[in-house]
Amino acid sequence: MKNLLTLLCVVSLAFTVSCANKKKNQYAGVDGDYVNGTPLADRTEGSSFFSDHVAKGEYAPVYFGFDSFTVSENEMGTIDKVASALKGTSKTIIVAGFTDERGTEEYNRSLGERRAEAVRQALIGKGVSAGKIQTVSFGKEMPADSGSGDAAWAKNRRVEFGVVK
Amino acid sequence: MKTAALVGILLLPFLSLVAEETPTITIRKGEGVNLSLQSIGGADGAAVSKVLKNDLELAAWFSMVDAGKGGYVVSGNTTGGVLEGKVVDRGGSTVLSKTYRGSARDNAHHFTNDIVETLTGNKGMATSKIAFVSTHSGKKEIYMADYDGANVNQLTRDGVISVSPALSPDARKLAYTGYQSGYADIYLIELGSGARNRIVKFPGTNSGASFSPDGGRIAAMVSKDGNPELYVISLGIMGAHRLTHSRGAESSPSWSPDGKEIVYCSDDAGSPQLYRIPSGGGNPSRVQTGHNYCTEPDWSPDGKRIAFNVRGGGGFSIAILDTQNGSTRVVGSGNAENPTWGPDSRHILYSNGSGLILLDVPTGHTTNIVSGLGKVTEPTWSR
Repeated sequence: MKNLLTLLCVVSLAFTVSCANKKKNQYAGVDGDYVNGTPLADRTEGSSFFSDHVAKGEYAPVYFGFDSFTVSENEMGTIDKVASALKGTSKTIIVAGFTDERGTEEYNRSLGERRAEAVRQALIGKGVSAGKIQTVSFGKEMPADSGSGDAAWAKNRRVEFGVVK
Repeated sequence: MKTAALVGILLLPFLSLVAEETPTITIRKGEGVNLSLQSIGGADGAAVSKVLKNDLELAAWFSMVDAGKGGYVVSGNTTGGVLEGKVVDRGGSTVLSKTYRGSARDNAHHFTNDIVETLTGNKGMATSKIAFVSTHSGKKEIYMADYDGANVNQLTRDGVISVSPALSPDARKLAYTGYQSGYADIYLIELGSGARNRIVKFPGTNSGASFSPDGGRIAAMVSKDGNPELYVISLGIMGAHRLTHSRGAESSPSWSPDGKEIVYCSDDAGSPQLYRIPSGGGNPSRVQTGHNYCTEPDWSPDGKRIAFNVRGGGGFSIAILDTQNGSTRVVGSGNAENPTWGPDSRHILYSNGSGLILLDVPTGHTTNIVSGLGKVTEPTWSR
């Protein structure tokens, strides 16, 4: 019995190590079949983020560092709040990514989408069904603060939540 | 002594070879082929002359001299939409004689391209089209114009956000990113008929279309797998093939002229950097630029250079990578975003925020092409 446990430990340890290696290689952008997360669910169109069908401002935005798409520990309170609200209902949510004004438009569209997907992944990690979340990126369009400078930029690097009514 | 004579004999063929080739090299480098433009005769002469003069100056291959001061002489006669164009060399021999049928502008543009090709061996840019984003209407919409900024035409009236235009190399199609569905989708406009279709509408964000050199495929950013990745999408059968597999954000693909490779931006290594990947799939390789923030690469039509944006010195400027020797240099100054090569692989069009600037790379000379249309961004240029 003890031997079997030891064997299991060794096997699982080896498995963990090989997984870690594999992940590291794939993270480096090498070709493979690594899927970065859960594929998005089919869209339900007709509920644009900026339409009256979508309630915005029910939850605080999630903010990001310059050029970053990492959801920081400080933001997990917001993620928990949105996750627990979604788990209790059949409502769906649109997660919209935004950036500050610095940098070229298309790079910021991609970065905004990456932020939205990071928040989506965090929600899925808290048990929200992937089918309830859609993402969209507006890049540097529609800043929360139209000013320039560190204070405005910090407010604009965000992900907003829109609850589909 | 004997050795010196031997060396002399060995060198002789090389010396004569160099001497023979020198004139050709001089012309191709465009160090100013002397050219004088006689006023074009006939009913539409003034209109053709005006466009022709501007085209020849913008082309930048020529030194415009007064008639009788040597060099090639450009002349012509035009009536009723027919232009008889002619170029003679300093000895009086005709080097180009051709008839053009069309509008005054079109005739002048075609004549210019023939002059450029005949005298320099390079492709001209005078018949090409540009497209861009403008906030003139209050919303971001797609506009088109001739390469010199004439004939500005508002293409979309979506009233939402229409951005990231890409002209096909033959200027018959335009792809762009529109938000009519509430999400970012890629639309394709057949410019001849005006027919428009939403061609890429996966869940998430679809944007940044770039046409393959044959115009049959687009590369674009698609996030349906849970992360922004690059895809190649065939326009005929609408199949989508995933190219990149990274945890970062990919954007802004641009094809090599042979269609075999794609250069793009990825922040997978922390900051945005350029990578090259085979367009049929394979491993990406990092492009060493010496800059730690690189976005919006654009591969020149001759394949020799890649223009892109770098961040530094408080703003964004344009850098050019020589794909043959790997060297990079910053060109132009001030706020300069989204460089796009012209068909001549000599000029770059970029946005300074308020308008579009034409940059002649060898001389650094700039010309305002589009202004007074609100915020003008994201230029694209046909071949």
